[in-house]
Amino acid sequence: MNFTDKVVLVTGASRGIGAAIARAFAAEGASVAVNYLQNAEAAEAVVAACTEAGGDASSFRADVTDSDAVPALVDDVLETFGKIDVLVNNAFRPYKFDPENRRMFWELDWSHYQAQIDGALRSAHGLCKAVLPDMRRRAEGAIVNIATDLVARPTIPYHDYTTAKAALIGFSRNLAVETGPLGIRVNCVAPGLVYPTEGSKDTRESVKDMITAQTPLGRIATPEDITGPVLFLASPWSGFMTGQTLYVDGGLVMS
Amino acid sequence: MIEKAGYLPGLADDAVDWQTLRFGGNDNPLEIAVPVLTDAQMKALAGRVRAASRERLKSLTLAQIIGIIDAAVARLLDRSDPVRRKAEEILPIVTGYDAEMIRLGLTGYLKTFRKSELQKFAAEDFANPLILDDFQPMPKGGFARAFGPDVLAHIWAGNVPGLPVWSLVSGLLVKAGNIGKVPSAEPLFAGWFAQVLSEVAPGIADCFAVVWWKGGDTDREEALLRESDAVLAYGGNESLAAIRDRVPVTTRFLPYGHKVSFGAISRTALDTRKAKDTAHQAAYDVIRYDQQGCYSPHVFFVERGGRVSPGDFAQYLAHELDTFEKKYPRRALSISEARDIAAWRHGEEVRSFAGENRGLIGNPDNAWSVAFVDGDEDLSPSGLNRTIKVVTVDALSDIVPRIAPYKRLLQTVGIAAPPAELYSLSAALGRAGVTRICALGHMTAPEAGWHHDGRFNLLDLVTITEIERSAETAADTYAPYAD
Repeated sequence: MNFTDKVVLVTGASRGIGAAIARAFAAEGASVAVNYLQNAEAAEAVVAACTEAGGDASSFRADVTDSDAVPALVDDVLETFGKIDVLVNNAFRPYKFDPENRRMFWELDWSHYQAQIDGALRSAHGLCKAVLPDMRRRAEGAIVNIATDLVARPTIPYHDYTTAKAALIGFSRNLAVETGPLGIRVNCVAPGLVYPTEGSKDTRESVKDMITAQTPLGRIATPEDITGPVLFLASPWSGFMTGQTLYVDGGLVMS
Repeated sequence: MIEKAGYLPGLADDAVDWQTLRFGGNDNPLEIAVPVLTDAQMKALAGRVRAASRERLKSLTLAQIIGIIDAAVARLLDRSDPVRRKAEEILPIVTGYDAEMIRLGLTGYLKTFRKSELQKFAAEDFANPLILDDFQPMPKGGFARAFGPDVLAHIWAGNVPGLPVWSLVSGLLVKAGNIGKVPSAEPLFAGWFAQVLSEVAPGIADCFAVVWWKGGDTDREEALLRESDAVLAYGGNESLAAIRDRVPVTTRFLPYGHKVSFGAISRTALDTRKAKDTAHQAAYDVIRYDQQGCYSPHVFFVERGGRVSPGDFAQYLAHELDTFEKKYPRRALSISEARDIAAWRHGEEVRSFAGENRGLIGNPDNAWSVAFVDGDEDLSPSGLNRTIKVVTVDALSDIVPRIAPYKRLLQTVGIAAPPAELYSLSAALGRAGVTRICALGHMTAPEAGWHHDGRFNLLDLVTITEIERSAETAADTYAPYAD
């Protein structure tokens, strides 16, 4: 897959899945805009890794849940790279995936949901809206939103997190219908439990074993497992796919 | 592969000089042998066609002639017919157009020459088509009959496959003998059509011929013009003027010059449900034969105030063109065609730097280009081959002054507008010089019996002989039964 001359904006790319996605695009020759919120050092490390992998990269600090910051972020990226071919909405509000200490439904109030909806949906909404003018000018573009396989199979009911990601899938399908006639594709990648990441670093071995036991491919996903389907959905190889969700969880969910 | 062009009744192949035209490049080489006649051969051919048309064609009724054309067209509509199969195989190589586009285009086009359509065709121009067969009573008194020329010359141009059939059929319907000169860009179809005609009706096999000469060969051209009673010619104004200068003054000359066409899209066609279909139809008009037809659009004027803005429409149009590229790819361009597109793109790009209200969608790698202008912009020719401009107007009536500079060149307007607007705008467009108004998506497929460039296809070809009432009355006095 060749992404030479393509510009890719990955949100939440200083660590975990986002960082892996940034590196993977860079390795295929892309220019990558590495968005991060707090850890400038980590973001710079990702930029360095991207350059080393053969691509071009720059870091961009911005809170993607901030409606004012998002257009400025997109303007910065356009200023630096001239265009945006691919947007990967990977950022989400930090969440602890701890099956044993999760909040039960009656312990949650709306603010928990709102926080996750802001993290997953508000950020994607703002970014999609901000990149569309540039993509429409060129009548092409690909948007990949990172969801979760918990939407299809809530093995652990992380109510607030999973509900927000479910909304993101619905959002993506509607956007796909709206922008299809303009040549812009919108798809989702729904990973299973990915280890190691900041969110999953405390997940107990027994939980991982349980998931592994039910997964046809017999292991837990690594961040690098997620990158292939993301690159595929961003590439012309998926040129006739839009509004789809690819489950990347070793076959745990089949739909 | 070698294919012979032309149709030369009475001339054996080995009596004629043949020249070779090459098509298809290295992948799919095709040689076409085109006939080069001497003056004497051209004169003899014209004499043969003249005699046969007098003796054979003029003794047939219009209904019989329609029956013959219908039978020939039925063969060409039959996809198992050898000539049809050859056309489907060879025309994509000759013209470069996508094979599917040609196949569908041929069928859609030939369908307009079936019996029922030919009857409408004749009825369009003649209140009583029997006037072509015999003297008919006239409302003013007396009788009249229409006679077609003995030899009608056709000088065809361009590379849209099948176009010569139009004028050839027109000539046959008025019982003219026909000699057509095919263009080097597509020298085959007219000859095949003549061949099929001669097979379905051997009796009229000498009533038409298809010849060729190299563009600019005025000697050969004059040899034909001298022998013709009427001349139909297609092409640019310059070449038409040159032909006109060589046509004897007593010979009727009917020129069809280059034309410019465009689209007009009302805000009512741009709600969130209809806009996509509107863009689809508009894109179809652009991609058909890569804008090579006189009826192909160069600009879409789009009214402001719809739910989908003209700028958004331009983006929908761009995507539709991109989608069509996968279904009906643009043909390979010549160097000069590619240069024309680059020049057009460059011009649009430079102007878009100057103002916020302009833009160019797509990149030079795309097999299409859409320019967008939100401001005062007149009609202007596109770079052809799927380059199109979307121009914003406050109201569709604002189009009228913007097309004024092109009055003499206007032809088709594809319209998407509600009834009241369709009729009011059509009146203004007609005054401005437009001769054909059709739905978006139909620009490149005129209906049977259309009046090409606002003229009468059949009526222009004939002369009317009238028996005045005085002759009719006087005759009675000389009758043997006169009291």
